[in-house]
Parts: sequence; C-alpha cells; structure tokens
Amino acid sequence: MSELDKVRREMAAVLQQPGARPDPALRLTRRTFIHRSCLFGAATVAETFAWWPLLNTIDVAYAAEAPFKFAWISDTHLYPKSLNTRFVDKTIRAVKEVQAMNPPADFLIFGGDLAQLGKIEELELGVEILKDAKIRKVYIPGEHDWYLDLGKKWGELFGEAHWTFDHKGVRFIGLDTVSRAPDYWTMRKMTPEERMGHMATLDGTVAGPWAGVGRDQLDWLQKTLANWDRNRPVVIFSHNPLYEYYPPWNFWVRDWRDVNEVLKPYTKVTNIHGHVHQVLYNEIGTMRSVGMLATSWPWPYAPEGVPKLTKPMIRVDPGDPYDGVGWETWNVSAKDELETEYIMWGRKQVFVQSDADSSLSQPEILRPRIADSQWPY
Amino acid sequence: MTDRTTLLTFLSRASLAGMLAAVALFVGPAAAHKDPVTPQQLKAYQDAFMEQVRKGDLLFHGDDATAKQMGVTLSTTGMACAMCHPMTSDTHPQSFPKFQAQMTKFATLRDMINWCIEKPNQGEKIDPDSDAMKALEAYIYWSNTGSVLVPGRY
Repeated sequence: MSELDKVRREMAAVLQQPGARPDPALRLTRRTFIHRSCLFGAATVAETFAWWPLLNTIDVAYAAEAPFKFAWISDTHLYPKSLNTRFVDKTIRAVKEVQAMNPPADFLIFGGDLAQLGKIEELELGVEILKDAKIRKVYIPGEHDWYLDLGKKWGELFGEAHWTFDHKGVRFIGLDTVSRAPDYWTMRKMTPEERMGHMATLDGTVAGPWAGVGRDQLDWLQKTLANWDRNRPVVIFSHNPLYEYYPPWNFWVRDWRDVNEVLKPYTKVTNIHGHVHQVLYNEIGTMRSVGMLATSWPWPYAPEGVPKLTKPMIRVDPGDPYDGVGWETWNVSAKDELETEYIMWGRKQVFVQSDADSSLSQPEILRPRIADSQWPY
Repeated sequence: MTDRTTLLTFLSRASLAGMLAAVALFVGPAAAHKDPVTPQQLKAYQDAFMEQVRKGDLLFHGDDATAKQMGVTLSTTGMACAMCHPMTSDTHPQSFPKFQAQMTKFATLRDMINWCIEKPNQGEKIDPDSDAMKALEAYIYWSNTGSVLVPGRY
C-alpha cells in the first residue's frame, strides 16, 4: 500500500465516523442570468453579461439575523502588466462584477495568490485593481504572495495574515496556511527569487509539504472559537483546503488532523478555500469544505484523491482564457443555509453533464517531476 | 557400404560444423549486436532517454536557460506548460493521435504541443522534429508511464 493510501485510510478512519457530518444546509449552484440578458436585447447582452453579478457567492445567514451575501475572489496570479495583461483583465472584470452586485455583498474576501511571483509591483497592482470594489475587503495570503520576501510586503499592505470577526450571527475566521513552510532555502543558499520559483511551481518537489496551519495558529483558533455557540455557523477562509486531497500539489494542510480536533465540537463549519483553481466539495467530520475557482487559469483535477462528494466541473476549452475561471458569491439565508454560486465566465453549466464533459473520465497515472531535485540545474 | 556411409556422414557433419565455425568466425563479429544486452548497454540507453526527459521537464516548467540553450521561445507571457499541466496532467499523450477540437483537425501530440506554445503561451512554434520537441515529448510520455493507451479518445 502506498504512503498516500495509508494516510487516506487513516483520514477516513479518523474523520468519517458514523453520524459525523456537517449540518446539511449547503447548496452549490450556478444560476444562469441568460434570460435576464435576453430582456435587454442582443445589443446589450455582452455588457449585461459582463456586469451582471454572475458570481461565485456564498450566502450565509443565521436564524436570528438578516440574510446576507458575501463574495470571494482569489488566485488572480497577477504578473506585471508589461508581461501579461490577460490575468489583469480577468481580475478587473471580477472586481467590477463584485462591485455591481445588487443587492451588494456585505464584504469581499480575497483568498490569496494575488501575485504570481510575490513582487512588490504585482502586489501593488492587485491593490490598485481591488480598489474598484468599494465594499469591505478582507485578505488571506497565498504562497505566491509570500515567498519572495517572506510576507514582508503582503503584511505591509494587508496586515495580519489570520483574523476573525462576527457578522450577522456568523463567526468568520481567516487562516494563514502558507507562511509555515519548512525551510528549504537556507541550506541550499537560494536567492529569494529561487525560493519563490520553487514555491510557485505547483508540481515542484523542492518546497515540499509547505501548507500547514501551525501549532500557534491552532491554539489561536481554539481560543477564538471557545466562546462561540457550537450550533452557530462558523466560516473559515483558507488558501489551502483543510483536509487531505493531494499532498504533492499541497492540496491539503499537513496538520489537518489537528485542525479537525479543534473544529470537532462545532456542527456548522464551512471551510472556503482557494489554491485548487477548481470546483471541489468535501465533508470531513463536521466540517464541509468548498473549493473556489481562480480568475487566472483552471487546474486539472489531481490524478487521484478527488473527494467522492465532488461533482466535478466541466472540462474547459484551453483556447478560451475566460473558460473555467471566475469568482463566487455566497448567500447566507435566515435558516443558517449557505448557498454558493460559481460564476464561471463563458459557461452556463459549471458542473459536468456527461462523462465526456469530465476530465476525470480519462484516468491518468502520473509521475512527479525530476529535474528540479537536481539542484542546481 | 556401411563404412562408406559412415565416412560420408562423418564428412558431411564435419563440413557442416566447419561451415558453422566459419560463419561464427567471419559473420559472427559483424552480428555482435545480437548478443544479449549488457547491463552497461541498458544503462547507456536509459541514460540517453532520461537526459531527454530531464531537458523536457525543464522546458515544460519554463526554465529559461534550457530554452535558450535549445534555441526555442516556448512562451512570451510568463506562462509555462506546467502551469496548466502540473505533472503533465491533462496532456493525455495516450489519447493521440486524435481529432483535436481546438485545431479542428486530426492531430498528433506534437501538433498539440505546438498549439499550446502558440496560443496560451504566445511563444514561437517549434520544428516538430527538433531536439526541443523530442525532449518535451519524452518528458510527457515518461510522466504518463502506466497510463493506458486510448488513441482517438476525446
């Protein structure tokens, strides 16, 4: 049995106890606004489509308080405009669409990987674009934002990498799952650019299992939740999924067992995460976990480990930069129901409709790369 | 009669053996490659292959030095093949040749590699028989070792 299989079996044994499930109040949707666009006539369809809130939203509500919406954007992977405007254009579009939401979102969460190579100009470009969303904004970091200067610029721009606030009966928590990588750079005498380069390569083998929450942050999380009613909703934002999906691409946090230990008493935990650039859904113990789209480009599903509860996203057209990407809205209803809506540009159907629509219908057996372990090249 | 037959049998056998010896002596050396493969040869063949895999891996992951050395511009956007295809996932080399929707033509893996270089990466198309193409192909196939051949599959 492979190491990965062993860990998976352990995860199932530890977390999938009989009866341990998150509260079932969640819906994943992709509403289509095409009929509304038609009302405006063909001439304005493009404009309507571009501005209408076709959002990946998650609505979260607590019984005692008003329903509300918030919006998620992440994984914009901005390069300097001089190199690549494709990602810039898509970020601008997402931000404009969030701002155009009606009724407006209560806040926007940016889920990390604003920059591609952590450069000051990339991060500042992101801040500039995000200014067009006038609503409240909160941020968590991605690894692409962090490993050029170990979070210095990110911290100056956005402050603490983990935080919490309560909003209309929901406790929101932002976690930093990226800054606690084991040091792979000092011994090898890497430059900051080399360190960033390894971190920025999803299938690299040098940066290793970098995604994690860390003991200090787990203690903080436990303290933060200590005074919270165990039956009231908790929403945790993280860049990486808080369970184990595919460690070779850090589609996990390495200390998911400890995270689960802390969250176990709470019955309505929703983890919303980026990093995977794909539609994902999983339930781990009493926590549900939902993967968000990138605005930059979609990742294929990993060759193994896709949660059985995931209804896969449709296979996209690599020739269309607006396919397979977008953002999300979340609705919180008055019955504690969370509803997420994937706003995938250029697609009426986000989820697979048939086998042929799914990249998972063609099984792959893949080997990890080799050339980056022969350092220096 | 019996002695004569015996002698003839002996002579024919001897001449056959002589011929075989002559074949072994004169033709044999020229056919030395038919000897069983040696561990040294195996290693040399494998090394030659893995060197191409290594170069292909570097090209696929956007290594500028390797691209320059091989005289190719695979991207001008900062994008590298591996950004959409980590561990070469979703390249599906086992499904080629096939009708490729993006190109609206019957295509090989090499055609598809060039399409990705030209379109998403906005690089310069490479010669289908070039060293860079062979290296990319070697890496993609190697990484998909064990995947089942399904030529023509969408």
